[in-house]
Amino acid sequence: MTALVERAGAPPAHRAPSRRGWTGARLAPYLFVGPALLLFAVFKLYPIAWSFWLSLFKTDGALQTFAGAANYRRLVADPLFWSALGNTVTILLVQVPLMLALAIALAVALNSPLLAVKGFVRLGFFMPMVTGLVAYGLLFAVLLNPQSGLVNWALGLAGVGPVPWLTHGLWAKVAVGLALTWHYTGYNAVIYLARLQALPADHYDAAAVDGAGAWQRFRHVTLPGLRPVMLLTIVMSTIGTLQLFDEPYVMTGGGPDNSTMTLGLYLYANGFKFFDFGYASAIAYALTVIIGILGVVQFKVLGERS
Amino acid sequence: MANLPRRRLLQLGALAAGGAALSACGGGDPAAAPASGPTGTAATGDVTVWSWQGPAAMMKQLVPGFQKAFPGIRVDVQDIGNPAIWDKITTGMAAGGQGLGDVLHIGVDYLPAYIEKFPGGLADLRPLGADRHRGAFAPGMWETVSRDGKTYALPWEANSAGFYYRADLFERAGVDVAALGTWDDVIEAGVTLKAKTGVQLLGIDKPASQADSANLFQMLLQLQDSFYFDMQGNITLDTPQAVTALTIIKRLNDAGLIADMAGGWNTMITSIKKGSVAVQSMPTWFGGIIEESAPDQKGKWKVRLPPAVTEGGKVAATVNSTHLAVAGTSKVKEAAYAFAEYVLTRPESQVAIYKGKGIAPALMSAYDDPVFHEPSAFFGGQKKGEIFLEALRKPSYVTNYSADYPRALKVVTDAQSKVLLKGADPATVLREAADLLAQQTDRKVVR
Repeated sequence: MTALVERAGAPPAHRAPSRRGWTGARLAPYLFVGPALLLFAVFKLYPIAWSFWLSLFKTDGALQTFAGAANYRRLVADPLFWSALGNTVTILLVQVPLMLALAIALAVALNSPLLAVKGFVRLGFFMPMVTGLVAYGLLFAVLLNPQSGLVNWALGLAGVGPVPWLTHGLWAKVAVGLALTWHYTGYNAVIYLARLQALPADHYDAAAVDGAGAWQRFRHVTLPGLRPVMLLTIVMSTIGTLQLFDEPYVMTGGGPDNSTMTLGLYLYANGFKFFDFGYASAIAYALTVIIGILGVVQFKVLGERS
Repeated sequence: MANLPRRRLLQLGALAAGGAALSACGGGDPAAAPASGPTGTAATGDVTVWSWQGPAAMMKQLVPGFQKAFPGIRVDVQDIGNPAIWDKITTGMAAGGQGLGDVLHIGVDYLPAYIEKFPGGLADLRPLGADRHRGAFAPGMWETVSRDGKTYALPWEANSAGFYYRADLFERAGVDVAALGTWDDVIEAGVTLKAKTGVQLLGIDKPASQADSANLFQMLLQLQDSFYFDMQGNITLDTPQAVTALTIIKRLNDAGLIADMAGGWNTMITSIKKGSVAVQSMPTWFGGIIEESAPDQKGKWKVRLPPAVTEGGKVAATVNSTHLAVAGTSKVKEAAYAFAEYVLTRPESQVAIYKGKGIAPALMSAYDDPVFHEPSAFFGGQKKGEIFLEALRKPSYVTNYSADYPRALKVVTDAQSKVLLKGADPATVLREAADLLAQQTDRKVVR
């Protein structure tokens, strides 16, 4: 009623759309993002904020006392935190570059016009990615079992002595790295492959006309073309590795003697095994800060020149 | 005699409190509660029970009988799995009791942590009538489930340290296991055994891939009346007892007598089936596991109490126990308690469970049943039940697992891995472990 009256009495062109806008068109986007924002707030924002608050408390199960930065001070003095960080960084520096290099090689191979039954082969390399984390962790634990595992049996046939997978500090790290590589290489290769297929063919033609061989085309056309997705995969792999949990949890439990203890595992142990949620939250925030810093560095180094 | 009026009073008090709880949840008429018999007879409700594998299966078998006696109660026994159950209980407790089962099966390694770190997480069972069972259990058990005058659980199984061995293999090696007096003798016997038969003495999960890789170390401590903590909660890892225990393990390892059980439980079961180790120095409950895993080895196994650590030392120790508790937030505490009481305080229930899975009851009256005094065909005609009963009757060292047991276990298994995998010095790694634990828990180290 009122709308009708007003529309009749006032210049319609200005007022009507703005009024209707608040109730309709202008409000609509907020209504559409509303549910997502609400869910985000409840399931992400609230726990994120709450765990920071929690990290300022000395907690002992349900008992909490405000302790300021005590948990963070304890973190700095905790040898296990540093060895967990060291292990995580070791895997990050060794496994991630190897895996990404492998993924690029794989992507180039999968992109080759010479390859037959492309779909099948690509699927084969991507399949590990859809395998459940726990399932494949168990699979590797069984395969790599020092006494009864298939891998040591096969190595034995080739005359190589039993490798102490999972029971020796260094080899346990290698085992976790192997599992990670098996699981994520295909996934990264598919990302690279998508980018490769978007690279214009005339760049290759031009390079060929200039007399570039296969290696030079790869070096000067393919790699620069992949730069944006390399940033993406490096950042994602870094975050993933820093949060590494499932594989060592299932395969080694962080052992032997903490040699595969990761920040994720140490956080879990403190929260859910030792009931020390405040300290676990402090570890989580330390991890967040580390991921944030590394992310910024990677964007700065790799992102600008593209 | 002087005790009688007091007990009667307690019962009446329990009854009144029980009645109050009942009417509070609108479940029934307090006047309908009978004056004797299990306190929860009139209780009603749907009760969820959390347990794992064997015990869960046994409780499921008891449900029909229970529901006949308590028609108002429906019981759902859930096999949560072990160790998954600890994470699930912790999560539920941290969430203020949300989603917890009503009856919780809890081991002695976790009970103190739940009691101390989650006040109110477990219900005090005295108002429900638990006190009248105080004297019914093995020595030391009531102390284990009580704290500051409150009782948080009823004891279920009480496990004594044991020493299961392949009698046939030792016989072939010409070793009389019954005559082994100390662990020094065990090491010597192990060397002979390995030379004559090629079989290693025992197995340990050297990289500690599963949480329970320190069982032998713990038992060697308990045989010396010691553990990770003393009764005041101080750390006792840097003590002569601890060094002695870990040194025994190191000597066994250096002599090549310890097979690596990396992978934990499954690897251990496989090794039993294959006969690749000759000794399982495990508590009471493990006899049932051996019998179930390798039925074809009937007659080849025997059992005795473990040899002493030092000449003339103790050979009996109650190494651990499990219990049924009621969640503090349960809406059907009465009914939940009634089920726990039915399972744990009736000798018939416990005898059935022992027959089914070999789980040894803490309930002493259950031992009157002939099943505990029969010769076991699997264990070469030995009266296995009596061997452990003898240990259970002895006054036992009450182990203080403390609320920080999970942390302590972690530093201990790491220390043991260093010794077993890298040949580290026991005294050094234990001193480091004690210091690390002190840094993490603010507890004092006794040296």
